[in-house]
Amino acid sequence: MATHNNHNGDAISNRHVSKKPKLAPTAAVAVITEADLQSEFSHHDPAVARINNGSFGCCPASVIAAQRRWQLLNLRQPDHFYFNELKKGILHSRTIIKDLVNAEHVDEISIVDNATTAASVVLQQTAWAFHEGRFHKGVDAVVMLHYAYGSVKKSVEAYVSRAGGDVIEVPLPFPLTSPNEIITEFRCALERAKSGGKTVRLAVIDHVTSMPSVVIPVKELVRICREESVDKVFVDAAHGIGCTSVDMQEIGADFYTSNLHKWFFCPPSIAFLYSRKNSSSCDLHHPVVSHEYGNGLAVESAWIGNRDYSAQLVVPDVLEFVNRFEGGIQGIKRRNHEKVVEMGQMLAAAWGTHLGSPPEMCASMAMVGLPACLGIKCDLDVARLRTHLRDEFGVEVPIYFRAPAAAISAGDVVTGYARISHQVYNKVEDYYKFRDAVDQLVNSGFTCAQLST
Amino acid sequence: MITLSNNPTLNPVPMPQDDDEDPRNGAVEANDHAHQSPLKKPRLTRPISEPDILQEFSHHQQGFARINNGSFGSCPRSVLSAQNTWHLRFLQQPDEFFFNSLRKGILESRAAVKALINADDVDDVSLVDNATTAAAIVLQQVGRQFADGSFRKNDAVIMFHCAFPAVKKSIGAYIGPAGGSVVEVRLPFPVRSDEEIIAEFKKGLERGKINGGRVRFAMIDHITSMPSVVLPVRELIRICREEGVDQVFVDGAHSIGSVPVDVKEIDADFYVSNLYKWFFAPPAVAFLHCKNSKGLVDLHHPVVSQEYGKGLALESSWVGNRDYTPQLVVPSILEFVNRFEGGIKGIMKRNHDGVVKMGTMLAESWGTMLGSPPEMCASMIMVGLPSRLCVTSDDDAMSLRTHLRVYHRIEVPTYYQALRNEDRDPKDKDGFITGYVRISRQIYNTDEDYHRLKNAINQILEDGKICSMLPVE
Repeated sequence: MATHNNHNGDAISNRHVSKKPKLAPTAAVAVITEADLQSEFSHHDPAVARINNGSFGCCPASVIAAQRRWQLLNLRQPDHFYFNELKKGILHSRTIIKDLVNAEHVDEISIVDNATTAASVVLQQTAWAFHEGRFHKGVDAVVMLHYAYGSVKKSVEAYVSRAGGDVIEVPLPFPLTSPNEIITEFRCALERAKSGGKTVRLAVIDHVTSMPSVVIPVKELVRICREESVDKVFVDAAHGIGCTSVDMQEIGADFYTSNLHKWFFCPPSIAFLYSRKNSSSCDLHHPVVSHEYGNGLAVESAWIGNRDYSAQLVVPDVLEFVNRFEGGIQGIKRRNHEKVVEMGQMLAAAWGTHLGSPPEMCASMAMVGLPACLGIKCDLDVARLRTHLRDEFGVEVPIYFRAPAAAISAGDVVTGYARISHQVYNKVEDYYKFRDAVDQLVNSGFTCAQLST
Repeated sequence: MITLSNNPTLNPVPMPQDDDEDPRNGAVEANDHAHQSPLKKPRLTRPISEPDILQEFSHHQQGFARINNGSFGSCPRSVLSAQNTWHLRFLQQPDEFFFNSLRKGILESRAAVKALINADDVDDVSLVDNATTAAAIVLQQVGRQFADGSFRKNDAVIMFHCAFPAVKKSIGAYIGPAGGSVVEVRLPFPVRSDEEIIAEFKKGLERGKINGGRVRFAMIDHITSMPSVVLPVRELIRICREEGVDQVFVDGAHSIGSVPVDVKEIDADFYVSNLYKWFFAPPAVAFLHCKNSKGLVDLHHPVVSQEYGKGLALESSWVGNRDYTPQLVVPSILEFVNRFEGGIKGIMKRNHDGVVKMGTMLAESWGTMLGSPPEMCASMIMVGLPSRLCVTSDDDAMSLRTHLRVYHRIEVPTYYQALRNEDRDPKDKDGFITGYVRISRQIYNTDEDYHRLKNAINQILEDGKICSMLPVE
């Protein structure tokens, strides 16, 4: 079996690819044309260079139409829908996801609203372990990355710290030149835990961090966790599916969550939570308890009271959509990656800055340094600059403030990075528009200080 | 200015046409029966006509007697259209929507609810998905109080035995493991008066003190689900206060849009109601009112986001990226209900009068009786099924429901209640009554729906069939 590394550093094998049915256009399905693609995203505001797919994702018109059909089916006769359609539809979605992520059994796949919900599900279970005396205050700990998503950090605080657990943060350098920098810091953090007499019960690891955005070498970190006897590993891959390689057997985590509405063309909102079946499989529960309580997380999550489940039912339609692209979802990922790196390098060259990480540590997003002369000095500056770019230039792009290492206000230190995304609807003009906007700001002597007036 | 896509599949659901103006339309007159309410008078909205109402619910399955508004509610086209417009705004430019529109929109909805329920402070009003979610929020904090010792191991929580199954499971999940015990109060049914319920509840409170503990938390339905009865919540809460119960949570899942809801007057610590059942919201949105929420430091949404610690209302307004459109349409719903004579109060009254009239008609035709007196019903009523149908189990009741759906195009939930006490068990001329239907009435229903149910049951009896013999496929 030939194996090769994709740009994400994850090994993929041909055997692995052939295990997944229907993930690329077949002879019967014509490849999507430019005109079709335009039409599918014609509801996007044409005046905006939308280079922030990472935050809220996108949904093509044909999938929105499918969602409407499900909604109307429910509204037409909701009792019939509840008794005869809903469970079937959710199981169908779960089955497709199971194949996409190479899980062993559909029972391992639950559908929840988003990664934020999934984090609460997993961490609530940790809290229970403390309450029930299985985990001990002052001894048991949770490890997470410093760049963990804000909501997840709060969830760790609410469920772990409050229950008496210790929280160990792994500092991460940024900008980065290689995954080894992350691996080294992670090892050190586990060492610190050990020498402090702590037992690490759970490691929370991002697959692709949000801000600043880099691809974390999760496979390697999971391996280290196993070596160091960390009880469980939870991978927060909010940006995973449709963005980077997501293979449950390869990665080997106990829990893995990813949003499908970010990079997998679903409407808001839907995520999956994978929970590995093994002899010590844990008792995960959805915090919103319904009459399905105790029937397993997947069944509990499929009914948390009356709601609109339509976003969870359109996964088959999304699969049809991605299969209209050459190479299916793999092809989309590869092209997004190549384009975002190309555009990132173009911008960095135009501005005389640099990328925040090497290309192999980017998936469909890249961090591009902004010219130092813009005078980005704090989080408020980046928020205002982002608004300014939106309102005055029609560019939507999130910006990250990175405090300079030394306490000097050196004029040429890059303190701001734009996180550019590339999705199938993006064009090079979007990135030229951004380039030109920043050039204009620079040429006019603009600094962020001007925005506070 | 929001421009919608040219793609027809994305355009909002079409608005009702004004073609057939009902000559009864004109200025809306103050109705003598309507209660005084700022919501009674339509502002600049068009009064609604019969053809308008048909059009507003034209997406309901045609030729189907939908007499179960209580389970899943209903949503008119104009509200669906408003929801669609919000949805498209998000899809068009989600960042701009998130930063500039979402929070404002949710606050407007919360303010509209605050006015509707006579709350003091909009901070006390949170929007969540449904009553099931609200129950988890409230019960988690009760569980924490048992876990941290504020409530002691021999203290109890009290609820009615017919509390909604999800809520019972939630109590089992969050109270039991934390050490609290649970007292269940049997709801007398069929019931004849509030006094019967109050007496049972008082007995329940006594049982809660048996182990030398106190009743710390009371879970009281405003309108029970199955069997469905309006409980005397104000009186029950007064009794709770007298007994020193720490917290009272009213599960008013069915309330708003079917009974008046004045949270100051009711004076519960927590009050939840679904807006999608009787208040025309799309699935799904509910409000949770928390008395003096600023003093409740340990009440949290279980899905933790960066809003954690800023109060439940803010926590609930962002639980990660999701579709918040059901929470945004409350102002549009008010526009809709204000097109009706008497606004929501007029709707409630007409639904009540209509469901009582139809319930009485059915009971007379079948020779049975109502499960409760009219004053203990709102927009739903329980009607006894003829004993000859032989409803002997939950399965029998479900078979009958399915049979009615598949063979008679009627949707109505059914209820089985085993005999309890032979002297008092209800009877008709042929035997004991053990089965009931719960009929609902909402503005889209017509008398014809209930006559169809009457005829279907009579037909089954004429054919000599009993529940266990009914085909369901």
